[in-house]
Amino acid sequence: MRRRILTFVVLLASFSLIYSSVAYYALSKAPAQPFIAWGVFSSSETLSNYFSGVGMNVTAHKVLTWHFEVTNQMGSIQYVGIVYRLGNSTSKTPNATAPASDTPQIGNASRFIPSGQTASINFTWSINSENQAGGLVVLGMTVNGQQVSPPVGAAKGLKFRFFFELWTYDLAANSFLYGYEGPGSRIGNWLQIWFNAA
Amino acid sequence: MRFRHLALLGILFILLSSLSGTTDKASAQSTPVDIAQNKIVQAFQIVQQADLDGASAAAVSQLASSLNLALSFEQSAIELLPTNKTGSGIYASLSLNLSTTTSVEALSVASAARTQTLLSRLGVYSLALATGLGSTLLVIELHRVKSFVRKIRLRRLRLE
Repeated sequence: MRRRILTFVVLLASFSLIYSSVAYYALSKAPAQPFIAWGVFSSSETLSNYFSGVGMNVTAHKVLTWHFEVTNQMGSIQYVGIVYRLGNSTSKTPNATAPASDTPQIGNASRFIPSGQTASINFTWSINSENQAGGLVVLGMTVNGQQVSPPVGAAKGLKFRFFFELWTYDLAANSFLYGYEGPGSRIGNWLQIWFNAA
Repeated sequence: MRFRHLALLGILFILLSSLSGTTDKASAQSTPVDIAQNKIVQAFQIVQQADLDGASAAAVSQLASSLNLALSFEQSAIELLPTNKTGSGIYASLSLNLSTTTSVEALSVASAARTQTLLSRLGVYSLALATGLGSTLLVIELHRVKSFVRKIRLRRLRLE
């Protein structure tokens, strides 16, 4: 009888262990690398042809309507910010760890994006004026309805460029931080589009 | 020794008093837009926690929509601030109210999600234990099952 009970207990423990392991595996989330993917789309919904087939030249008062598509695959809702900067050919670019803090910021936008979803963020801009300053062309612009005059010039108005930086809100730091939290460290993410003020 | 303790306590008291004074001053200087901004972040924190606790995608999506609306009110409040302080205050207040409502909803969603997760885990592990018990009984009583099957076969043979 005692042997029978012992066998029962050992078998019950073994089977329970096996089935509980299966249950644990079934309930565990599959490992996945968190990331945020994004791109800037032209008015024709493409990742090219930003200036409607006229090269990189943008004439004054021409309104360009682009938008960002930001996909959150971080595993939880994110508070995402996009910082817009205007630079020229000599501006220091952002990189994987640091934003282009020396390049003037001309605007920003933020959005809450649930995990697995894509947000569309509009970016509408135009050149209002082209002014000469020290042999360089300096622009007066309207960005998302706000008038800005960034202190950046380019010779003959050629080779201006937008930097778009992805920032995410870090609750521990209680502020937006450049990039997003990757496995082990933050991952900086940025885009740029060149244009000429013609 | 006692004097030292008293002195330490005194320093601690002065530090705490000065800190609370600074906090009071800071909150007194906060504009409605600052308060709305802080409330949005607080709401985001609660919504993210609800998400991590296993809230459904639909619930999180709805909470995110509310947060985005609160954010757009806050943006309007910022834009109006230099020209129309009353209008700015109204938008800041709308943002604040919406963030507060979203926080309350998120807390409820998080609580329901935690309960749901706990119940489903409990269910799955109970099933695992029950299957374990069933398997054990099957192994132990296998000889009886075999003899039962044999009996049925014999009965069929006799009938034929």
